[in-house]
Amino acid sequence: MTHGLDAVETATAAAPDADAAGVFHRVFRSLNSLIVIVSSIALVVASCVLTYSVVTRYFLHLSTDWQDELSVFLIVGAVFMSSAAVQANRGHVAIEAIVALLPPGANRVRQRLVDVASFLFCAFFAWKSWTLLEEAWVENYHSSSTWAPPLWIPYSLMTAGMVLLSVQLLLQVAAPGERRGPA
Amino acid sequence: MSTLSIGMLYGGATLVVMFAGMPIAFALGAVATIFMIVFMPHASVDTITQNVYEEMASITLLSIPLFILKGAAIGRSRAGQDLYGALHAWMHRIPGGLGIANVFACALFAAMAGSSPATCSAIGSAGIPEMRKRGYSGGFAAGIIAAGGTLGILLPPSITMILYAVAAEQSLGRLFLAAIGPALLLVALFAGYAMVKFQSEFRRAKALYESKGIHSELLRPDELSLRDKFVLLPRVLPFVILLTGVMVALYGGYATPSETAGLGAMLALILIALIYQVWSPRELSPILTATLRESTMLMLIIGMSLLYSYVMSYLHISQSTAQWIVSLELSRWVLLTAILLMVVVLGFFLPPVSIILMTAPIILPPLKAANFDLIWFGVIMTIVMEMGLIHPPVGLNLFVIKNIAPDISLKDVIWGVMPFVVLMIIAVILLCVFPSISTWLSDAVMGPATR
Repeated sequence: MTHGLDAVETATAAAPDADAAGVFHRVFRSLNSLIVIVSSIALVVASCVLTYSVVTRYFLHLSTDWQDELSVFLIVGAVFMSSAAVQANRGHVAIEAIVALLPPGANRVRQRLVDVASFLFCAFFAWKSWTLLEEAWVENYHSSSTWAPPLWIPYSLMTAGMVLLSVQLLLQVAAPGERRGPA
Repeated sequence: MSTLSIGMLYGGATLVVMFAGMPIAFALGAVATIFMIVFMPHASVDTITQNVYEEMASITLLSIPLFILKGAAIGRSRAGQDLYGALHAWMHRIPGGLGIANVFACALFAAMAGSSPATCSAIGSAGIPEMRKRGYSGGFAAGIIAAGGTLGILLPPSITMILYAVAAEQSLGRLFLAAIGPALLLVALFAGYAMVKFQSEFRRAKALYESKGIHSELLRPDELSLRDKFVLLPRVLPFVILLTGVMVALYGGYATPSETAGLGAMLALILIALIYQVWSPRELSPILTATLRESTMLMLIIGMSLLYSYVMSYLHISQSTAQWIVSLELSRWVLLTAILLMVVVLGFFLPPVSIILMTAPIILPPLKAANFDLIWFGVIMTIVMEMGLIHPPVGLNLFVIKNIAPDISLKDVIWGVMPFVVLMIIAVILLCVFPSISTWLSDAVMGPATR
């Protein structure tokens, strides 16, 4: 299936930081751990919702209208919100074929540039998510289904997730080499 | 600027950022965004996030994390070892039965877990030491497991196939069914090879014993009592029930494919809680974290790949390339071969998910024009991408094997796997000659396709 990452391992213990900047790192890390827990629960809840949907339709012959959409919100939220935690361990896969051939010095420069570029893209995306969220809130957008939930809910999760991801990338630009967990 | 030069720039820029080692998701998103800013109207840049959200917010795509959850739950339990143990107990009398049991265990496990590396590590960690203890050569044992693991992306529910169904706008249920015949064909080829290879290793060991008196474990008959056989059975049954239950729910019309994902994940979690007592938050946490990690990585790549192909199609790059390919008027099979070779080469660098989403708008129209069945092609393309998992330079499964059995040299692993690559090529050729291997089941269950 995926090249990858069947994720054989998970969290790595981080070295404690003593200085002031370290406090922010620590707070951010704790925030990420909390988000991972909440997102995990969201995935399980989404499974329950879909199972419930099958059961009610088959046994109780009720129509199902909100289950799919609720699951979409839960999963989209989990994905975007946890993207910073995944980046913290450099879990977003990259092509490393050529990278391996570079001398260590050049590689550090390359990593820095790549992180800056990733940050710029994610920050741009976060900003555009924010304008989308604002628009959806002001104009009171709803999804077009019969259930019609307000769209600011998923948009706010996407925005928050992209902001966190941008902050995470900025931290990695500022402190290169820190926290190289297994990808 | 002409479409050709924009297209060249788009491709070139993508290659540069990707090879610079930028994470695939961000690289695709960044290139798409820059081209939107430069070449597309302002309004489209403003809706970039809405675009990504709307493309991603389909329950079919978002069922992927739930399939991963189901796979992780099964993959991290002892289910793999148990399944393997039971199959071994029942098949040990067949010559090469141990190898065949491994192939079958891989296939069954892959169908439950839906992931190649997970299958390799779950079945391989029990199967490789056992095969070697019984005198199988390291390369042979590694080959069986690496190749068996690839069945994961062919057997439903396969993430690769979900994406293909979305990208090619084909029925997911039909695609899943169309993959079953070819998967069985591969299982048969692998098992057949395991038997033949076992007999040749056996003869060699026997000759060595007769001429030099060197004893090989290969020659020792296996004794397992009937009791052994039945003791293991109950542990496997629930998983077989899970597998068939999910299939029945899907094809009996009780559940949509995405609901099946939710149902499967739920059942898998319940089963590991009941059978393996995995239910405390401390034990579940690694399963969930691993699921989340893989899902997030994958879904971001998917979202950004969709944005990437949207830009490619808005700028007419995909249509022009597709038209150009059609205008070459290649014969059907040359076209197919060229496209499959391209898939192989792309597989050196990109995960299957990106290959599908990025190439679908380019390669599917010419294939359709050449009168190929797109469901059938989805199966062929999946097998070809599977091959990428077991041959260099990427060969992810090879590295998984290397991790489980560090003492088998990479060279032995690669040589052990090569015959299986050849078998997969044979399977692809057979499918080209007899397309009904793939389509008969889907046509039989869902009625003939409108082609």
